[in-house]
Amino acid sequence: MKQISVFNIIKLVLLSTVLFINLQQAFAADAVKEVRIAAVAYGKDGKTGFNGSAGVVDTEGWLRAELQKQNIKLTWVAIPPQSVATTINEDFANHSIDFADYGDLPSVILNANGIDTRLIVPGGRGNNVYLVVPPGSTAKSILDLKGKRIAIHRGRPWEVSFGRLLAANGLKITDFKVSNLNPVAGAAALVAGNVDAFVTLSDAYTLEDKHLGKIIWSTKQAGQDWKMRAEVWGTKSFIDQHPEVTQIIATAFVKAAYWTSQDANRETYINTASLSGQPADVLRREFSQDTVTWKARWSPLFDDFVSNHYRVVAAYSKQNGLIRTDVDVDKLFDRRFVDSALKSLSLESYWVSKDAGKDVAKDASKLAPKT
Amino acid sequence: MMATKKLQAFPTFSVRDVLLRFVSPLLLLAMWIALYQSQALPSQILVSPLQVFEAGRDLYQSGELWTHLQYSLNRLLFGFAFGGFAGLVFGTLMGGSKLVENLCGPTYNTFRQIPTIAFIPILILIFGIGETFKVVVVAQAAFFPVAVATIDAVKGIPRSYHDVARAYRLSYVQWVKRIVIPATVPPVVTGFRISLQRSWVVLIAAELMAAESGIGQMMEMGRQMLRIDIVMVGVVLTGFIGFMLDWGFRRLESRLIQWKSN
Amino acid sequence: MEKQLIMNNIRAFVKLTQLSKLQGFLLPIALLLLWSFLSHRSNAYSYAFVPLPEIWAGFVADIRSGELLGAAYGTIHNAIIGLVIGSTAGFVIGSLMAVFRVADLFIGPLYHALRQVPLMGWIPLIGLWLGNGETSELFMVSLAALFPMGLNTYEGIRHVEQKFLEVGKIYRLSRMQQFLRIILPSALPSVLTGLLQSLAFAWLSTVGSELLFTNGAGLGGLMETSQMASKMDMVVVCIISIGIAGLILNSGLLRLSKHLLRWREVA
Repeated sequence: MKQISVFNIIKLVLLSTVLFINLQQAFAADAVKEVRIAAVAYGKDGKTGFNGSAGVVDTEGWLRAELQKQNIKLTWVAIPPQSVATTINEDFANHSIDFADYGDLPSVILNANGIDTRLIVPGGRGNNVYLVVPPGSTAKSILDLKGKRIAIHRGRPWEVSFGRLLAANGLKITDFKVSNLNPVAGAAALVAGNVDAFVTLSDAYTLEDKHLGKIIWSTKQAGQDWKMRAEVWGTKSFIDQHPEVTQIIATAFVKAAYWTSQDANRETYINTASLSGQPADVLRREFSQDTVTWKARWSPLFDDFVSNHYRVVAAYSKQNGLIRTDVDVDKLFDRRFVDSALKSLSLESYWVSKDAGKDVAKDASKLAPKT
Repeated sequence: MMATKKLQAFPTFSVRDVLLRFVSPLLLLAMWIALYQSQALPSQILVSPLQVFEAGRDLYQSGELWTHLQYSLNRLLFGFAFGGFAGLVFGTLMGGSKLVENLCGPTYNTFRQIPTIAFIPILILIFGIGETFKVVVVAQAAFFPVAVATIDAVKGIPRSYHDVARAYRLSYVQWVKRIVIPATVPPVVTGFRISLQRSWVVLIAAELMAAESGIGQMMEMGRQMLRIDIVMVGVVLTGFIGFMLDWGFRRLESRLIQWKSN
Repeated sequence: MEKQLIMNNIRAFVKLTQLSKLQGFLLPIALLLLWSFLSHRSNAYSYAFVPLPEIWAGFVADIRSGELLGAAYGTIHNAIIGLVIGSTAGFVIGSLMAVFRVADLFIGPLYHALRQVPLMGWIPLIGLWLGNGETSELFMVSLAALFPMGLNTYEGIRHVEQKFLEVGKIYRLSRMQQFLRIILPSALPSVLTGLLQSLAFAWLSTVGSELLFTNGAGLGGLMETSQMASKMDMVVVCIISIGIAGLILNSGLLRLSKHLLRWREVA
């Protein structure tokens, strides 16, 4: 029976290691020595760079220096672009990160599953979602595509924007033959003529440039709260236990937003962002001819656009079975950090809190999916 | 199940042995329950066996499970059949002809190393996104282990057999029927078994990445929704199916070995 | 006999090249021509069948920047470490199960049940339990390498011929000596087959887990980032590199196993 006990021990050791890792991570918060922020990363020439605001914060170096003053180490957790939502949610669940700069829909899913995170710095107006058809297609709007085949990556933030487009036109997702394909497979399917339309992000322009597709609709034509959002979330426990550390992080992101939002830095931002592989020209078009001004695009304010957007995301997720419990959207926001960041940076009046007012209210009543 | 084989391997067995077999699975289950009840891990990370069972039951009752399963098994069946057959033909040619080996060897060896998943965009362009495409993915995965085993088996036919065949002036068909097949069946069947296992692995991976149905897709959606219970249902189910496929093939293998020795 | 004639013609043509090693280049060249033809068919085709000059340019740029070599190094490194850990564990488990009956009865059922779960099926669970970093990738690769090695070791040892064992008994070898001098050498071919299979699975799993999670390093990660940026030329470069790197690993291991088995040829 010797082997049995040996095997037992091995198994016990394995299990307790798992336990230990988790406990260690859970207790790590008691004395902050390290802050772990997850952000979408890309590799360029053997170095890791980060997308969006996280990239600006990283290059600026202010956050690292400020945390260093308090003997706190800043660790960027690089997340590959292909499965941002699931990876970050899993990392939040097993306590391997404290903050993350990522999307709206996964955040709602995470909170619906009982893991409390809070939005501390809104990321501005967000990214556009595009509807692309083959170059020879006669379809002019989503209505022309009824009953046709559409490629979309389900469960990703852009699904919500697409859902709103459908709802606004009195359509349902079941009115289409939906193929759940990731953006790469989706593009290939569109190109090969296997689908009649493809819902995606700014890579739509790359398809247009290669004469492989034609954009017939984008969230640029819709309410500003239709865009897909990505912003700074933190675990509730970390925020509650270490509000002063959280404040430094929030200030860093507000500072980055301020830097980016100045017209003088627009080109610098685009050129840096293009290192991720998206051509600068594509990014330029993603940002141009939009109803949002460059400055407002980066507004970190908790305005109606933010809350209305999340209300729609929560309703959509519930309606489509992505979550089983209702999410109280207002509880997801922790507004105090942005306010004091703006104060400390003397930017209180830089951005105007856009009470989306009638415009959005009208949009919401008309466009929010019927529950 | 596996038991039959191992009981053969070990000459005698007792009640104690049979009981011992259940110890480790039960122990694992007990630890799982204990770990769950200690609440050391958050419920999003570890669900109880009961919750997994309930999730499985719900999926079964809604008919979802069966639909996914049907899709996956269909793809597996067709892909495995096509890929395995192609592998058998190709392997025979490669093993039997120096020319074919010289011509195709390097290309074949390079392609063998490329995971099927990497071909997905190109395959979509050629085969579309329908079932054909998924069958091709599986077929591609099924092809190589069979080809590898067949090449080795055909090459492994002793020289003396060739001499015998020449002495008896066997026709090509007779040569294949009388000598090649009997000499190569056991390793080739093993190749088929590995191929089936690998097809199953690749199918699940492909479904995780690009599909709208199938067990892999069910798991991926579960993962996205943080429904660890659904993921676990997938793990248990895919494991069980893999076990059954492997067991079936092993039965076939031992039958064939018996048939060969007769 | 017409077939024979054609074959002879082909053979004659091939002999023209004089070097049979060069024959191996014929098929790749034909494939390249086909590729090139397809890439010029239409815009749609050139999306996946990237024109060859573009692939070449991408390849050169990647080599120059050191990105490709860095990624290839990362992938090979991970595959080898995972292979070493996994196959060692597999060897130990396989030997235990083959030599000790209690171990076979005890570990066996769990082992055979777990090994049937498709590798990628573990990813969601491993991602949650061990995080999405390198630990998980290493775990996945080791797990992939463990099962084939365990299985082949087990079968190799169980099929050791009885007469060899009897020789051992005659020489009154201790259990350990018997294992090292008789069982292990005669199980070696099977163990090495296991190692080769383990490599195949480890390689699949390294690339697969790089594609499905992890930190974006390695060839799989590079391929995925290129895909996201719609750089199909880079994707193709990555696919080819994965093939070549795998080929190098595989032939290295084959050499090693031939070297280890050289005594059998003599015997």
